Amino acid sequence: MSVQETIQQQVTGHPVVLYMKGTPQFPQCGFSASAVQILKACGVGEFYSVNVLETPEIREGAKIYSNWPTFPQLYVNGQFVGGADIMREMFQNGELQKMLS
Amino acid sequence: MVTPQQIKAWIQAGLACDHIQVDGDGHHFEAVIVSPEFAGKMRVAQHQLVYKVLGDRMKAEIHALSMKTFSPEEWSRQGG
Repeated sequence: MSVQETIQQQVTGHPVVLYMKGTPQFPQCGFSASAVQILKACGVGEFYSVNVLETPEIREGAKIYSNWPTFPQLYVNGQFVGGADIMREMFQNGELQKMLS
Repeated sequence: MVTPQQIKAWIQAGLACDHIQVDGDGHHFEAVIVSPEFAGKMRVAQHQLVYKVLGDRMKAEIHALSMKTFSPEEWSRQGG
């Protein structure tokens, strides 16, 4: 299976997927930490997360898949939602809560 | 080290901007960008446009760029 196929399987196989630096318990970047906090604040207790620091091929492949050069990257129902800035903005105006409910 | 002025110039070279402000410390940058090219686009697509303009610089020279993007109409609604 190619890296792109693996990513497609990950994002379509789980309702909420976060590609991040570190783990939800131990984020290794401030932006990834804030993404986890926002998901928790939206009431998402469990989500599928991928630590891109430990998976270099996924790290490069995810940038291509989403056409987005940085992490974190959030997917909901297979759709790319955005990075930390967009998550914060959508959380502040209530869109993210709606999308995740 | 990359300066906010450089990033501003790189973005302006590839994107028509009504307003652009970039601040940062050489590693983390914050940008506010108003462009007519953002009109009618979702926020994700707006940011993707900026990333496209910056191209490989996002991989090599810029560690983190936090963005607020607005179309001219969104910007005037913001009171900007």
